[in-house]
Amino acid sequence: MNDRVEDGAAGRSAALVWAVNIAAAALVLLWTIPTVGLLVSSFRDRDQIITSGWWRAAFSSTANDFVRAGTAADQVQEGDVFVISGNVLPSKAELKSWGVSSKAPAAYQPGDIAELKDGQRLTVSDKGDYRLTSPTAFPEGRGMRIFVTTVAPPRLTTGNYARVITAEGIGRAFLNTMTVTIPATVIPILIAAFAAYALAWMRFPGRALLVATIVGLLVVPLQLALIPLLKLHNQIGLNQSYLGIWLAHTGFGLPLAIYLLRNYMVGLPREIIESARVDGATEFQIFRRIVLPLSFPALASFAIFQFLWVWNDLLVATVFLGNATDTQVMTGALRALLGSRGGDWEILAASAFVSIAVPLIVFFALQKYLVRGLLAGSVKGG
Amino acid sequence: MTKHLLLSAAVLALATSAAFAHQMKFVPGEDSRFHWDSFDSFKASHALDGQKLVIDGPWGGVDKELFESVLATFEAATGASVEYNGGDGFEQRIMVNVEAGSPPDIAVVPQPGLAADLAKRGKLTPLGEATQKWLAENYAAGQSWVDLGTYAGPDGKKALYGLFYKVDLKSLVWYSPENFEDAGYEVPQTMEELKALTEKIVADGGTPWCIGLGSGPATGWPATDWVEDMMLRDNTPADYDAWTTNALKFTDPKVLTAIDDFGWFAKNDKFVAGGAGAVGSTDFRDSPKGLFVSPPQCYMHRQASFIPSFFPEGTKIGEDADFFYFPAYAGKDLGKPVLGAGTVFVMTHETAAAKAFFEFLQTPIAHEVWMARTGFLTPLKTVNPEVYGDATLKKMGDILLNASTFRFDGSDLMPGAVGAGTFWTGMVDYVGGKESATVAAEIQKSWDAIK
Repeated sequence: MNDRVEDGAAGRSAALVWAVNIAAAALVLLWTIPTVGLLVSSFRDRDQIITSGWWRAAFSSTANDFVRAGTAADQVQEGDVFVISGNVLPSKAELKSWGVSSKAPAAYQPGDIAELKDGQRLTVSDKGDYRLTSPTAFPEGRGMRIFVTTVAPPRLTTGNYARVITAEGIGRAFLNTMTVTIPATVIPILIAAFAAYALAWMRFPGRALLVATIVGLLVVPLQLALIPLLKLHNQIGLNQSYLGIWLAHTGFGLPLAIYLLRNYMVGLPREIIESARVDGATEFQIFRRIVLPLSFPALASFAIFQFLWVWNDLLVATVFLGNATDTQVMTGALRALLGSRGGDWEILAASAFVSIAVPLIVFFALQKYLVRGLLAGSVKGG
Repeated sequence: MTKHLLLSAAVLALATSAAFAHQMKFVPGEDSRFHWDSFDSFKASHALDGQKLVIDGPWGGVDKELFESVLATFEAATGASVEYNGGDGFEQRIMVNVEAGSPPDIAVVPQPGLAADLAKRGKLTPLGEATQKWLAENYAAGQSWVDLGTYAGPDGKKALYGLFYKVDLKSLVWYSPENFEDAGYEVPQTMEELKALTEKIVADGGTPWCIGLGSGPATGWPATDWVEDMMLRDNTPADYDAWTTNALKFTDPKVLTAIDDFGWFAKNDKFVAGGAGAVGSTDFRDSPKGLFVSPPQCYMHRQASFIPSFFPEGTKIGEDADFFYFPAYAGKDLGKPVLGAGTVFVMTHETAAAKAFFEFLQTPIAHEVWMARTGFLTPLKTVNPEVYGDATLKKMGDILLNASTFRFDGSDLMPGAVGAGTFWTGMVDYVGGKESATVAAEIQKSWDAIK
């Protein structure tokens, strides 16, 4: 890509190059902001997420909250007054102001004394220590609410990830997704490579028609096949199992795989294959020794596609694998989390990152083949 | 090398996928409030060792855990093993599985409309005369529960297909008693007082309501509950019944009055936390949290009895949060109508274990083990009300008993395309700024289209 930009700009001013670079950088920034936000959120705890946006993660945050004072059971008698004492501050936070009513939650400064009903008095020091006194014994009941406005220093935690992977069942779902994804990527590639070679280099009647049929299958929506296919699986005893979902994904992935690989293989130099034939190589030898190694970029680009598609799939997994906890895939587990913990963003953000980690690794490991394989498949053609 | 690692991970995943047994919360015979005698007699008459029962339903998260403790009691009594595969997306999952011939043994259906649809397709097994008789005799307002569970089969013949278990009460307003106390507000006894209180809170500089309609693909359903509650408060129960069958059209002035009555609360920027524009986009699970922050974002939240599951952790019902009955107009003489909903159990695959489970649901103990925890109300008269996990549930039970009219969630009775489709989206459009007449006309049009 870089070459082309420089070639195109060779005769023009350097300013244009800069404009292009800056525009590209701005677009990249724009597109990655949501992901960055999600990443930052996944390291913040629940209270921080509620009180301030992720872009303020690096600064101190001001939070309004209330703490319950001790109850009658905590009171001690000092002379003729009854005292309940304790601390209202979370660790490392600073007290800014406090109050005793939801109508005026910041009425008092640290050190002030609030006069309450029945001669009770409350004071909160700047360290957060409170002291509630009363001339008579405190009655039974709930502790009163002390409203506090606190300033907390920035802090990041990996606790969300630990919780998601262990307690929320995402770790288990991660392994299930692996179990589904890897065979569902490998099997179609194996089959499609043979088919693509046959369709590209072997002569037999009806070859063109077969290619046209496969291209036609590309536009059939897979939703059409869900119920009939599951019915078939049930009848032949596959039911909802890993084998069933591997076969289903293989079937749904094959048209694109064959199409992509065949177009790439057709573009390989005819001379090599012809001379191999002249030298007496069998079709299988040509396929294994010549075509397969040369087609690696196309294989890799299809592998990325299929891997990402299967990894992110929810529909096919729910239909062919079911919803049981012990076989649930990651997308299913995430949906369950959305339902039960829809308000807990820290949990959702962390699980989202667990789920995109592997596709990112796969993508970056194989991305140099992606563009090459794609271009080869589409441009050279037929 | 990586490939080997990945493969071994896959093998590990396969190897560890053993089923886990459910945990019982209450030990048989220990707590005398429970009807353990019904457990013992059920246990004596049912032996299903080694049999498997598969149940699908809409409950995930906390509810799933609670239901699994009920299943544990069934497992302990019979020796059968029960697999509960429920969670979000139940409506689509059950349709696919039933059509493809791999149904669960029992399905827990949240909308009677969906159960009726399954019955019509011939996918359900009737529960029989004995169950029908038992239901009419042992449930409060038994005949109405029989009617709600009776659907037409594939041959058009009506029979009892569904047994209701777990009821939700919808006509509730949640609030923080301490915030009311701080501001000097009283719990309103009539709709007139509720509206006056709403205006008073605004005059005092506060925001009275938290309303959120967001719920993923089901966004809009909380508004349909509001409209149903207003229908029962503006019109007679007969009008309400006619409305759920479309004998009374959506465009009828009576329905428009109810929609606009909801709009009085939800479409006023000063009445709703975040302004009217936030109503459609706030998630219903997030919206009650405004009650508990400092300073309070709102003072009241109208939502069904299940909502405490989404309150912040550690919230004590009855102390940090409480509820009152969503009152009726004193001036309209319509009594005390109550809106509710429930989940109906249907048999999608007839097995000995499934039949036994329906008999289990008819024992008091099946209700009591969930009652004793949270979020469960039952119309079964033979249970011991002392078992209820907290005073709140008991108070809800009282509302249920004192109701002069009980009506089932109307949108659940309507055909799916309306009650779980255009009614939801129409309400989102309505709070987004459209007129009630326009929205009602669109909903009516979608209903006409499926007649």
